[in-house]
Amino acid sequence: MYFLGIDIGSSSSKCVIIDENKNIVGRAVKNIGTGTNGPSVVIGEALAKAGITEEQIDFTVATGYGRANHTQADKQITEISCHGKGVAHLVPGARTIIDIGGQDAKVIKLSETGNVDNFVMNEKCAAGTGRFLEVMARILNCELSELSELAKKSTEEVEISNTCTVFAESEVISQLAQGTKREDVAMGANHSITSRVAGLARRIGITPIVVMTGGVAINDSVVHSMEEQIGYDITVAPDPQACGALGAALFALESFNKKNN
Amino acid sequence: MADIKSMIAEFEEIALNPAKSAAKLKKESGKKLIGMFPYHLPEEIVYAAGMLPVGMWGGQTDFKLSNKYLQSFCCSLIKANVEFGMNGAYKGILDGVIMAAYCDTLKCICEDWKVAVVEPTGMPLIAMYYPQNRKIAAAVPYMQAEFEKAQAQLEAISGKKVTEADLEAAWTVYEAYRAECRKFVKLVAKMPATLNATKRHLILKAGWFMDKKAYTEKLAALNAAIEAAPAEAFKGKKVLVEGIIVEPIALLDAFVENDVCIVADDVAQQSRMFRIEGRKAGTVYEKMAYRIVDAYADPLLLDEKKEHGEELIKMAKEAGADGVVVCAMKFCDPEEYDYPIFKKQLEAAGIPVLYMEIEQQMASVEQYKTRIQAFAETLA
Ligand code: SF4
Repeated sequence: MYFLGIDIGSSSSKCVIIDENKNIVGRAVKNIGTGTNGPSVVIGEALAKAGITEEQIDFTVATGYGRANHTQADKQITEISCHGKGVAHLVPGARTIIDIGGQDAKVIKLSETGNVDNFVMNEKCAAGTGRFLEVMARILNCELSELSELAKKSTEEVEISNTCTVFAESEVISQLAQGTKREDVAMGANHSITSRVAGLARRIGITPIVVMTGGVAINDSVVHSMEEQIGYDITVAPDPQACGALGAALFALESFNKKNN
Repeated sequence: MADIKSMIAEFEEIALNPAKSAAKLKKESGKKLIGMFPYHLPEEIVYAAGMLPVGMWGGQTDFKLSNKYLQSFCCSLIKANVEFGMNGAYKGILDGVIMAAYCDTLKCICEDWKVAVVEPTGMPLIAMYYPQNRKIAAAVPYMQAEFEKAQAQLEAISGKKVTEADLEAAWTVYEAYRAECRKFVKLVAKMPATLNATKRHLILKAGWFMDKKAYTEKLAALNAAIEAAPAEAFKGKKVLVEGIIVEPIALLDAFVENDVCIVADDVAQQSRMFRIEGRKAGTVYEKMAYRIVDAYADPLLLDEKKEHGEELIKMAKEAGADGVVVCAMKFCDPEEYDYPIFKKQLEAAGIPVLYMEIEQQMASVEQYKTRIQAFAETLA
């Protein structure tokens, strides 16, 4: 039996297929999100990896920003619950999840038993989200994936506004014009995003074990900067981008069992 | 059931089209309308003077003209009212406006309104001041004096002298209205699907654009029909909402989509205006003043003991709410001052809280949908 979780974000689509023993048999991630063919592409790839067809899927749960548009799903559950579920499965004992996605950032508090206790999300603003780093990468003329390496070479601290992406953009351009090194700006951008999200985390309280998920967690200099900000070690979830999709697949398994028992 | 549905549809129609409803009310009643800007105002005097009070609860608009007086850090509710005042939306509908300085924004607006609206349109403004120290002995005579001042100004607009008998009659209408509203909000839990978050809101909002006597009769009929109907089975979650207003409608629809029923409210547009039952003794003005003295858990009225949280806990428990949803009006400082205190109290009492900062004119509520759905999932 197979259970599919699809996480349709604002800028990426993720799919995870598990079997009845919660083993991951298929997984795919694409950096195009809701409103694109991203969801169908990742589902196709994950099915191919699992070596099965769509008909063999027993239950599908959709999550993420575009969850309501995925009409093929048997159920839709928020990314908050799905990240909680995925992380509780991957990192037993996790109590705080910091998830930085393409267009939002959220901090989720888990109970001792791994259920979502509370959560906070960023207000409607790109500051403190993956979008902010994308803008920074563009100004620094590098790929998003190169930003982390660039920041590691930083030698001097640069302060960048953490309140507004548009202001930060012009601030960075003038920093570069004044001769500030790209590496230092890259590090400044990391600090900017982590101080913003750390503020969000403090609102609901931080309890270890702290886990980071979402695409931004791949950037290890952001993770390091976040550790400094919150004063706790951070565990990066295995395959952090696909955590929500895994949670959705786990919910699919649970829902299927509930329905059939 | 068909009866209940058609009764609700009538309220809905009125509440969804405030401008049209107010114009119709004016035409059909032949009475002058006085805008309530918007909290705790002496509606009884307006009514006694042979006019009808109508609510001024913002609305959907872009802010073009109001930016002249209101900075970006002012609440969207007042911005909308000022925008409508300046763009002529109230022209031909309102014959006057009553406003009281309950918050810093309203304090400034009392003055701005005179220049922005009263001067160009001639629409009179009755500015009132309520006492901060509402529990001390001097508060009641002070409020009586304010009511008398307002009465004289209202008499000038209506051309009718207000007698004690007029006031008594108006007080009776309003006490009956408030009692019926209190009854209604308690009955919602019996029919959580029919009286979903959106419908509940619109039923209560309609009262702001109707003659209170006619509204009370209609609401009493609805209440009686609900009482006679069988209780609805409900698998969703029940919440208490807190805030100034809970709008736009798309936000309320997000509660409905996620099977979240609003079983109680601590909302300025709703229960805060009608939950206080008037005292029985004294003159009408004394009784009106005591409604302010007796008010509780209202961020607009000084609460030295900070009892808002305890009251919320009590209200949530009485209504059987699974959690509290705070709809904090962005840039509303009275609400923002209270929140950190009552949040701690609610959490200590084990009541889950969802905090959402809202604006009345939010174009997209997608993220709010996720929050409400996620909150409902955590309550599961
Ligand atoms: S919403 Fe708050 S800030 Fe705005 S007028 Fe009302 S009390 Fe004042």
